[in-house]
Amino acid sequence: MADPTPTPGATNDDPHGIRKDLDKPGQLVVVFLAVLGLALVNIFGSTAMGPGKFTLPFQLAVGSAQATLVGYHFMHLKNGDKVVLLTALSSIFWMGILFVLFLGDYMTRHMIVD
Amino acid sequence: MSIAAPQGAPAAAPVPPEPGPLPVNYLNNGHSIWSWLFTVDHKRIGILYLVSISIFFVAGGIAAGIVRLNLLQSDGAIVSEDAYNRAFTAHGVMMLFFFLIPAVPAVFGNFFIPMMIGTKDLAFPKLNLASWYVFMLGAALAIWSVLVGGIDTGWTLYPPYSTRASQSNVIPGVLGVFISGFSSIMTGLNIMVTIHKMRAPGMTWSRLPLFVWSLYATSLIQLLATPVVAITLVLLMVERAWGVGIFDPSLGGDPLLFQHMFWFYSHPAVYIMILPGMGVISEVLTCFSRKNIFGYHAVAWSSMGIAVVGFLLWAHHMFVAGISFYAALLFSLLSMLVAVPSAIKVFNWTATLYRGSISFQAPMLFSIGFVVLFIIGGLTGLYLATLGTDIHLHDTYFVVAHFHFVMVGGMVMGYFAGLHYWWPKMTGRMYSDFWSRFAACVIVVGFFFTFIPQFVIGYHGMPRRYPNYPQEFQFFNVMSTAGAGVLGVGYLMPAVYLTLSLINGKRATANPWSATGLEWVSQSPPPIFNFDESKMPVVVCGPYEYSLGVDQMGRTLPDAPTGAPAELHEGTAADGHGPTSPAKQES
Ligand SMILES: [Cu+2]
Repeated sequence: MADPTPTPGATNDDPHGIRKDLDKPGQLVVVFLAVLGLALVNIFGSTAMGPGKFTLPFQLAVGSAQATLVGYHFMHLKNGDKVVLLTALSSIFWMGILFVLFLGDYMTRHMIVD
Repeated sequence: MSIAAPQGAPAAAPVPPEPGPLPVNYLNNGHSIWSWLFTVDHKRIGILYLVSISIFFVAGGIAAGIVRLNLLQSDGAIVSEDAYNRAFTAHGVMMLFFFLIPAVPAVFGNFFIPMMIGTKDLAFPKLNLASWYVFMLGAALAIWSVLVGGIDTGWTLYPPYSTRASQSNVIPGVLGVFISGFSSIMTGLNIMVTIHKMRAPGMTWSRLPLFVWSLYATSLIQLLATPVVAITLVLLMVERAWGVGIFDPSLGGDPLLFQHMFWFYSHPAVYIMILPGMGVISEVLTCFSRKNIFGYHAVAWSSMGIAVVGFLLWAHHMFVAGISFYAALLFSLLSMLVAVPSAIKVFNWTATLYRGSISFQAPMLFSIGFVVLFIIGGLTGLYLATLGTDIHLHDTYFVVAHFHFVMVGGMVMGYFAGLHYWWPKMTGRMYSDFWSRFAACVIVVGFFFTFIPQFVIGYHGMPRRYPNYPQEFQFFNVMSTAGAGVLGVGYLMPAVYLTLSLINGKRATANPWSATGLEWVSQSPPPIFNFDESKMPVVVCGPYEYSLGVDQMGRTLPDAPTGAPAELHEGTAADGHGPTSPAKQES
């Protein structure tokens, strides 16, 4: 109501502009397999690396790649408008708060000065 | 704020309806129980929430009564120590999860967000109804677990006690809180989408009433934070039910992990509770001082500021729990930061009152009470945010007094301000002017007597949640319990006169307070789709043009409520000089 012009991509039977032809089945399967493959990479990769210094960054990097794939393809960020993109970016920022401040405690907990 | 009203005399607001049969409205359109239980009308769902949370408020209040009565004697006056633990847990769980969090967003947010932005309903009416059912399901589980034995962990549910040692109904209670969390997410989502997508023509973001801004910020927190506590509670149940080591150190877990995750939600949750109250206050203070809000953008953006900064402070609850010294330093500093947007609000409210023509109806009295008590609550928070003093004050009655000043003195006062402000619109009836003012005074007095003594005993070292205490604290505990009695009477008074108003209250006009918001445009109680469907509102100006005497549709306001001279704003509207008109200067 604030904006009387119809949403881009809106049709008569779908006023919200979610286009049914957005996802090609083949593409969905490829992305799905890629996410599963990355999970295997994560599991076997970190097992091979053992509890080393770079294991956690490696695991987080693979996990981020998976999340990006899901967000970009499955959650349709690839054709979201600016508000959707802004929402996605701010939720990443918010996750950043969660992780950085959490780790801020855990990684400095044993550094007590006397 | 620019006015885009057409030149010439603005069309007058409709004359108040003559007494007679009420026109069709959302209340008299169907009286069967099913017309309520299956309604998708946001106003009726708001009323459903109002009735439910009133019951939970009474339940939580009874638990508080048990706690206070037991503290009359230093060795516990009425209940066993075990029952005492269950009583204060029941008080916390009921009041926080089933009263404070839904209080303003689910009742007034539901009811008034669509009306204030000039639309027919929330974006997802069925989701709205679903949220009430989910809420009631969670509440039923939680109440059941309180009635059949109770929970003895405190509302914070810290492991390993809650997962290993506690012999009480932790799992059903936690499950109840978990389920009701979804209702909070649904309401937040609904309100947020509605504000984005369904504003009336002309209702730009900088013309939104501040109540809408504050609920937008609240919804943001509800959406982001509630899933975190949900997963935390699931982990808690998993550990308790199946002994999976997550938080319990004897199983290889980390109890501080629970505290981190719990407070990552529960600190922002206090802003879920207080922000809507701040929104109500912004509406009421402007209306009853007949002035535009001072610093509209500052107040609006400070809501968003609180919502964001509120996520950066959670570990101030853990200063003595064993977190890193450096993290504690950081969180102490960040906790101070939230004082900035809070203070911005308080200063702007004060500046709004300055040279306003103030009248002291009940909503205004509650709002002034809010500001005073919130200032005390906020400033005592600084003692707790400071690392050094918190080591002394942590887990004492000082903390209890502090958060009751913010949550009860702030939020419950804000809730009552909203209830009294919007009651004529919601029910179409006026309540007793005398008794409502009297109740506001009784509540403030009772509040001071209840919680000021707790600052004193807390500072002198009485720990919270202890059933027993040294003899020298008895004087203050008795004073606090006496104050709680006065407070209880104060809370019962609105229940009586508001109920009586439904039976024999004077018929409310469309705009009894002469307020500017769109919710006052249509009749009281509002019609089924909020506005006359043939002429949905078109907004031409900002939300608080009291000095011009026009509502958001640019129409002349009816007479101001008693206390504010009616000719004042009529004069200013006619000569068009706004706040500098001679009539204003005389006041
Ligand atoms: Cu906090």
